[in-house]
Amino acid sequence: MKLLMKEWKLCMHPMGYIMPLCAALVLVPGYPYSVSCFYTGLGIFFICLTARENHDAGFTLTLPVSRGDAVRARILFCVLLEVATLALMGVMILVKKAIGGNTPNPAGLDAGLALIGEGMIVFALFNMVFFPCYYRDISKPGKAFAIAAAAVFAWIILEIVATYTVPFFRDYLDRPDPQHMGEKALFTFAGLALLVSGTAWSIKTSVKKFEAQDLNL
Amino acid sequence: MSYDKKNPLKVEGLCKTYPSFRLEDVSFSLAPGMITGFIGRNGAGKTTTINSVLSLVHPDSGEITFFGMPFAEHDREIKEKIGFVSAGMTYYTRKKLQVITDVAKTFYPAWDDGVYRSYMAEFGLDGEKTPAELSNGMKIKYALALALSHGAELLILDEPTSGLDPISREELVETFLKLKDEGKTVFFSTHITSDLEKCADRILFLQQGRLKADDSLDGFRDAWRIAECAGDPTPELKQAAHGLCRTREGYTVLVRKEDAGFPGAREATLEEIMIHLEKEADAE
Repeated sequence: MKLLMKEWKLCMHPMGYIMPLCAALVLVPGYPYSVSCFYTGLGIFFICLTARENHDAGFTLTLPVSRGDAVRARILFCVLLEVATLALMGVMILVKKAIGGNTPNPAGLDAGLALIGEGMIVFALFNMVFFPCYYRDISKPGKAFAIAAAAVFAWIILEIVATYTVPFFRDYLDRPDPQHMGEKALFTFAGLALLVSGTAWSIKTSVKKFEAQDLNL
Repeated sequence: MSYDKKNPLKVEGLCKTYPSFRLEDVSFSLAPGMITGFIGRNGAGKTTTINSVLSLVHPDSGEITFFGMPFAEHDREIKEKIGFVSAGMTYYTRKKLQVITDVAKTFYPAWDDGVYRSYMAEFGLDGEKTPAELSNGMKIKYALALALSHGAELLILDEPTSGLDPISREELVETFLKLKDEGKTVFFSTHITSDLEKCADRILFLQQGRLKADDSLDGFRDAWRIAECAGDPTPELKQAAHGLCRTREGYTVLVRKEDAGFPGAREATLEEIMIHLEKEADAE
């Protein structure tokens, strides 16, 4: 908890607040909505960049905490931002429905329950790629972000293509709510499972990499 | 293993290899309540030693204990009793000092707000300022205030006086002497040896990754003499020389005290000893 407060008070970058607000892009017609989750990843990159510029690792590791604690706190803090993004996305989906703007989306999944599941998959993928790369060498957050962004965009392109070509995506997930809610709930649950297990794997791997790293601060 | 106040830091057989540098078998221990100067030219391995001691880099071999406890198993306990200050590092330059302090103090059970306020006042620091608004000397003092407010008994300072003007360096040296009077142990790396002449009790001299000397300041200085000569040194002087330096008038030559039967031989300063020994190493 103390380290989470440290992340918030000392490492938070304004982009960390602004980027999750991009979840409101679900209100825009004809937009690849899962990209809005990528923006939160951009906010996370800015937090890691700010941490590097402020010698955060040097400060944190002189505190009576372990390297593992420092890694867990950073990733959990970022997961909180991801959860906030998904929550806002959920609210915006409901708003869109209430104002009657829930028209079919030609650029990927419609704004509905399956989009939340898709967002979880995007975040799981981001966490599994970005943090282990970042904690291999904390002086190069840009490289880690470039690799994670490539992975996330590759998945988003696959998702968009799937809404036209893969029957499960096309006929069940990419349909306006409340159609096929069972399939969508299953997809969302799978996304949640991937987010939880993927982030847990990411934390474990990142801690190992950070503990092995020589920090010439 | 229990807390042993009499052994603030003990390093045995520390080795670390990089592609272009090797720290070899560095061993030393610090005496409590003393100021130990850790000298050597840039690149000698001072920061690598300190980073290894603090487990920021992983040594290839060696044992490091703080207060009789190995760092790996007692890192939290040890970190509560030490303070690390590095001149090259400025944390959170745009955050107010008070914000940084409010975060830091939550990690230390022994944090004392009264002590913090008194050091802030003594050092002339304003909690509403940011590190970006402080001079380098004031940044060091703020880092010291943080370390001292959580009851650090051992202060590890990496080049704290580098880049400071003479007045600021003098102020810091006086601060270190005051801390010594309070019973704190200070381990202080620098290549500005004149600061150590004013405050150090003991000198560790690191040269090309090896500990060349571990002695009291007086003992270290007393072992050497400087012979000054106009023109080229005589063959006898060259034979006894441990490094030659060109001067406007001729040469200065570092010789061992027992070999100092040359006319004009005088006591050597710490800086002269270090420079001549480095010249000797370069010549080899």
